Amino acid sequence: MLWNRNRTLWPMIAAPIVWAVHFCLTYWLGASSCAHLGSATPARIGIAIVTAIALGLIVFLGWRAWLRWDYRSDQDYVHDGPTTEDRRNFLGHAGWLLAMVSAIGVIFVALPAVFIRSCI
Amino acid sequence: MTVRAASALLLVSGLSACSGPQSVLDPAGRDAQVLASLFWVMFTGAVILWLAMNGIFLTVTRFIKREMSERKAETLIIGGGIVFPTVVLAGLLTYALAEMPRQRERGEGLTVRVVGESWWWRVEYLPDGSSEPVVSANEIRLPAGSRSEIELAANGVIHAFWIPALGGKTDMIPGRTTRMSLEPVTPGTYRGQCTEFCGESHAMMAFGAVVMEPESFDAWLRKEAAPADPPESPEAIRGREVFVTEGCGACHTIRGTQAQGRVGPDLTHLGGRTTLAAGILPMETDELVRWIRDPESIKPGARMPGYDHLDDARLRALATYLEGLT
Repeated sequence: MLWNRNRTLWPMIAAPIVWAVHFCLTYWLGASSCAHLGSATPARIGIAIVTAIALGLIVFLGWRAWLRWDYRSDQDYVHDGPTTEDRRNFLGHAGWLLAMVSAIGVIFVALPAVFIRSCI
Repeated sequence: MTVRAASALLLVSGLSACSGPQSVLDPAGRDAQVLASLFWVMFTGAVILWLAMNGIFLTVTRFIKREMSERKAETLIIGGGIVFPTVVLAGLLTYALAEMPRQRERGEGLTVRVVGESWWWRVEYLPDGSSEPVVSANEIRLPAGSRSEIELAANGVIHAFWIPALGGKTDMIPGRTTRMSLEPVTPGTYRGQCTEFCGESHAMMAFGAVVMEPESFDAWLRKEAAPADPPESPEAIRGREVFVTEGCGACHTIRGTQAQGRVGPDLTHLGGRTTLAAGILPMETDELVRWIRDPESIKPGARMPGYDHLDDARLRALATYLEGLT
């Protein structure tokens, strides 16, 4: 089967995709707010909203990945066997780690909006 | 040369950059002070991380020969390899970002407009409330103790404006106006440099940066705004004749005379500047003679033609006239 939830890579890379979209939206909000409205406030509010949404999505995706990794039942972090379970655990494990990195990335990308209050 | 001697030479030449008129580690402005302390904090952090990392490597490979338990190894890797660097980086990022708004604040009072040319600087001073700029070139003077606004533009190709002793650098982009502000603290003479590759004489595109007490700065600016004093000595008067007959005024302005050219730098108060030819020669008669005779040999690609058809006496007279324009 082509779309098998234990084979597809999408759940694993979903969190980095959220990070990438958040990155683009942050830059777009900053540039358009300053160029068209002449104020950084709309951008800062917009960045706060997209950051909250992105972090919520990443937590959700990370939680799903954590469940697929199934670490709590077997404390296993080596998944190199040619079995469906290993494949599932591996994708979950990698997805969980990528969700952690994505969360850090989203926070770091949003941090300048906390400190910089003007367009200049 | 042995490797040891070469390393020593490299170290000494590297350390020599820690002070002097063009060093980020020898700050004379409020922004540069912050950047220097930012550098030391980051550098100290990097040294501590390096020592800790290598210390751990050394400990686990040389001193603790017995096998480590899996749980302990995991804690070390996750704690030391993921959590610790993330926390340290977040701390350093927050510390650096918190400084950014102040560095980009608007200036108060004085605005200085700088246009990057190939390979020199067009400079205009606009004190608060004035409409007509005071035109100068190849030197930036700023009052100490207040934040001045710097407007930046470029003609033809990209340049970047940087006075390391006073603050950060900003690109100068053709067709756009960029800005920065500087808050000098310590009066003195510093040096700026173009820091974006802009052509064959990019490295020769520097400038003197003079920080003055506010009262001296005001007096200087009043003098800078005035037309040039007429020459007094017979040699300088002969030099002014050479300037007129050779058509120097087609490219250069000397306010108070017929010379109104805008192609090259304004020379109204050339002799009052600390350097010649955009920060690369001392302001001396001999250097002026050398420059006018053959600019291309000093600054490759310079648009000013050489005047090597003039005899020494006429060149020297011209140099005396120009040096007298204080």
